[in-house]
Amino acid sequence: MTNPILSVQDLTTSFRVDGQWRDVIRGVAFDIQPRETVAVVGESGSGKSVTAMSIMRLLSPANSRSTGRIEFEGRNLLDLPLPDMQAIRGNRIGMIFQEPMTSLNPVLKIGDQITEVLRHHRGMSDAGAMAEAARLLDRVRIPSARQRLGEYPMNFSGGMRQRVVIAIALACSPRLLIADEPTTALDVTIQAQILELIKTLQEEEGMSVLFITHDMGVVAEVSDRTVVMYRGDVVETATTEEIFRRARHPYSRALLSAVPQLGAMRGHDRPLRFPRVDMTTGEIAPPQSTADTVRRDAAPILEVANLVTRFPIRKGILRRVVGRIHAVEDISFELRQGETLSLVGESGCGKSTTGRSLIRLEEPTGGTVSLNGHDVRKAGHSELASIRRDVQMIFQDPFESLNPRIRIGAAIAEPMIAHGLVSRRDAPARVAGLLERVGLSGEMMQRFPHEFSGGQRQRICIARALALEPRLIIADESVSALDVSVKAQVINLMLDLQERYGLGYLFISHDMAVVERISHRVAVMYLGEIVEIGPRAAVFENPRHPYTRKLIAAVPVADPSRRQRRVATAEEIRSPYRSADYVPPKRLFREVGDGHFVQIVDDEAAA
Amino acid sequence: MTLPTESASSIHAPAAKPGKRRSVSPFAQAFGKLLRDPLALTGIVVLSAFVLLAIFAPLLAPQNPYDLSQLDIMDGRLKPGSESMTGTVYLLGTDDQGRDLFSAILFGLRTSILVGLVSAAIALLIGASIGLLSAYAGGRTDAFLMRIVDIQLSFPAILIALIFLAVLGQGVDKIIFALVVTQWAYYARTIRGSALVERKRAYVDAARSMALPDRRVLFRHILPNCLPPLIVVATMRVAYAIMLEATLSFLGIGLPVTEPSLGLLVSNGFEYLLSGDYWISFFPGLALLILIVAINLIGDSLRDILNPRREG
Repeated sequence: MTNPILSVQDLTTSFRVDGQWRDVIRGVAFDIQPRETVAVVGESGSGKSVTAMSIMRLLSPANSRSTGRIEFEGRNLLDLPLPDMQAIRGNRIGMIFQEPMTSLNPVLKIGDQITEVLRHHRGMSDAGAMAEAARLLDRVRIPSARQRLGEYPMNFSGGMRQRVVIAIALACSPRLLIADEPTTALDVTIQAQILELIKTLQEEEGMSVLFITHDMGVVAEVSDRTVVMYRGDVVETATTEEIFRRARHPYSRALLSAVPQLGAMRGHDRPLRFPRVDMTTGEIAPPQSTADTVRRDAAPILEVANLVTRFPIRKGILRRVVGRIHAVEDISFELRQGETLSLVGESGCGKSTTGRSLIRLEEPTGGTVSLNGHDVRKAGHSELASIRRDVQMIFQDPFESLNPRIRIGAAIAEPMIAHGLVSRRDAPARVAGLLERVGLSGEMMQRFPHEFSGGQRQRICIARALALEPRLIIADESVSALDVSVKAQVINLMLDLQERYGLGYLFISHDMAVVERISHRVAVMYLGEIVEIGPRAAVFENPRHPYTRKLIAAVPVADPSRRQRRVATAEEIRSPYRSADYVPPKRLFREVGDGHFVQIVDDEAAA
Repeated sequence: MTLPTESASSIHAPAAKPGKRRSVSPFAQAFGKLLRDPLALTGIVVLSAFVLLAIFAPLLAPQNPYDLSQLDIMDGRLKPGSESMTGTVYLLGTDDQGRDLFSAILFGLRTSILVGLVSAAIALLIGASIGLLSAYAGGRTDAFLMRIVDIQLSFPAILIALIFLAVLGQGVDKIIFALVVTQWAYYARTIRGSALVERKRAYVDAARSMALPDRRVLFRHILPNCLPPLIVVATMRVAYAIMLEATLSFLGIGLPVTEPSLGLLVSNGFEYLLSGDYWISFFPGLALLILIVAINLIGDSLRDILNPRREG
């Protein structure tokens, strides 16, 4: 065996918090061989990013310190004087970060940002650097690279920016590339492109990659070996195959069982809970199946017909409408009591706007929405209030959707008191009951939101939504911000509540695997339109629309034996912006199965 | 390139601790941090001392500087520490009319602090209401109110105050009125800005989706979250109001000569500065300086503590 490129031994990093040193990672050890991809995987707070930052020595020396050995090309990085370390950063080790929107300087042209690195690290002339920059953009498959050098980051989409960041990281042909959650902020089809690009470049350049991620699907797609971290400790290091086939540590097993796998629902006709794993023994209890909650006998509680929501774009002193964002364009669907309908699609497809339009958080432009027989769009002030009682919303960011200055007990009681469901005196008992129902303790009601973890906060939001005894819950990316294991618990909770109260869910998500797990029916959205809608099994097992197929194919499969190579493309998600005089074409649907409708694809709409 | 910091800071994210204790509100936490900052603590101690001196001025002052019968023109312009013919010691000397400067400063502080706080409070109330209304209503109402604010802010505060006082004449009530007119726009602009940000946050959507009345969303959800920047502006503005009042009094159009504020005292001694009787202007000026610095120390510290970007 050859010498490893990077050898981390007994790495311990501590941060100073309120004057006390606290270990954040303890005794981390792993090697990276030449041309090897090693994934460090773990949930938030596991120390995976701190590991990467420690290797690059990017943590502030004032309130952090690292001990141990980080051997790179025969030298211990922790002992190097700062100037030598500077020479290694960027030159020998390249790094790409999670947020492509902020890792480029918005006021400098792309070309200048790349040539800066080339002139500084490789001492190139201006003209030479420019030519090399164009070559680099070509390498990361940015179309018409030479012209784009003169553009600013704002002209680039998120995926394209991440390509530019990769180009900068590759500028000095590094031996090791550290990628810290490089695809987390990207849409799934774009993520697939970037992962493919990194794999291709690694083969071409012969470099090693340290891949930091929380996503087991991504791990299965890219890495040769995997390091599993949990609360600052490495709990398991093995080849990726082995981890997925027979993980030894209970935590690895828990993590894997909480990962929703696309295609795992074959043969189940109802939503399925995630299996529970005993954290000490690692034993997996088989998931309980759900009861049939869909009320097919009653009229649907939600009927949406030809809903349109557009946002005008105004310009000039006269504020003339120069164009419109067609966020939601002529969509129709219905939802029954006890049923989960998922709206799935990538960013900008209008799925969130649809949810918000249903209860008029955004004013729809046209169409009808009927909730429990009430016409939402015609409802007056008091009727709208009673409609909103029946429909509750749970938002994506549990940190944002609770008022930071209100104790959670008061936050949960507030809607009940405002609607006269409970007196101020009886409220605490009701709140305690609700908190217990979502798996928290009633004693917590005196606390403020900042004292809870993300998963706990999302439970609080669910408790608050349940306070008004709604019949329908609109869950707008409600589990997307949560860690895998917490996500599984919250989804299990939502399924429990559906069984108990017969709730209908409109589940808005970009996560195909979660959607497959939780839905009865699925609607796929693209550019403001529903392109395919039908029973979950039909849509996932027999996708008919080209976009649905593309979306399903782009999801990383959490199974290294089913690893697939895709063609590296540079296709982008199109924008729903249209000029003011645009008249959308009338879409027609074909019924391809029982309740399974597919938009008829014409040339213009081909995805 | 900027470095991501969330990953590092998430480790310090406070995990929910078990236990029954009633947890502290974010405001209480901010106050606790304020007390732990030595500079802010100095400011608070000095300001509290000044406020106490001002409140108990009638009990503490050796002389009532407004009671002309207690003044003796023969004691005029005595040096600090000198003794009068009746045996009282003038700690900080006297002015040209034989007024004890120590007493005059105590009573002057009373006027200055009163004018500063009352005008700031009224301006805050008016400004915050207009700003909140502007942000929540949006559209034409917002545009109209903000143009008024623009016009207001485009005139120097001192000019507006001068015009008003010239028309209205002298008096504590009139100077408060003039200060409110010059100050409300700052509060309106500040709270509108933060209310616009808060209005877009998910917890406001959540409140609206629970069909809470508009009034409740505005006052219980949006307003408390707009307070931090408002508190900072208010602290700074109180200091500015005190200074403006002193300036106006120094120019002789603020308060009547019979009720000397700190500015008026400085003005009284101004003509004697060059003749060596420095104390008549110097001590009131010093008191004013310490007061303003103390308030600004608190304001600076508050700004750092309440800044959402520095939380954690």
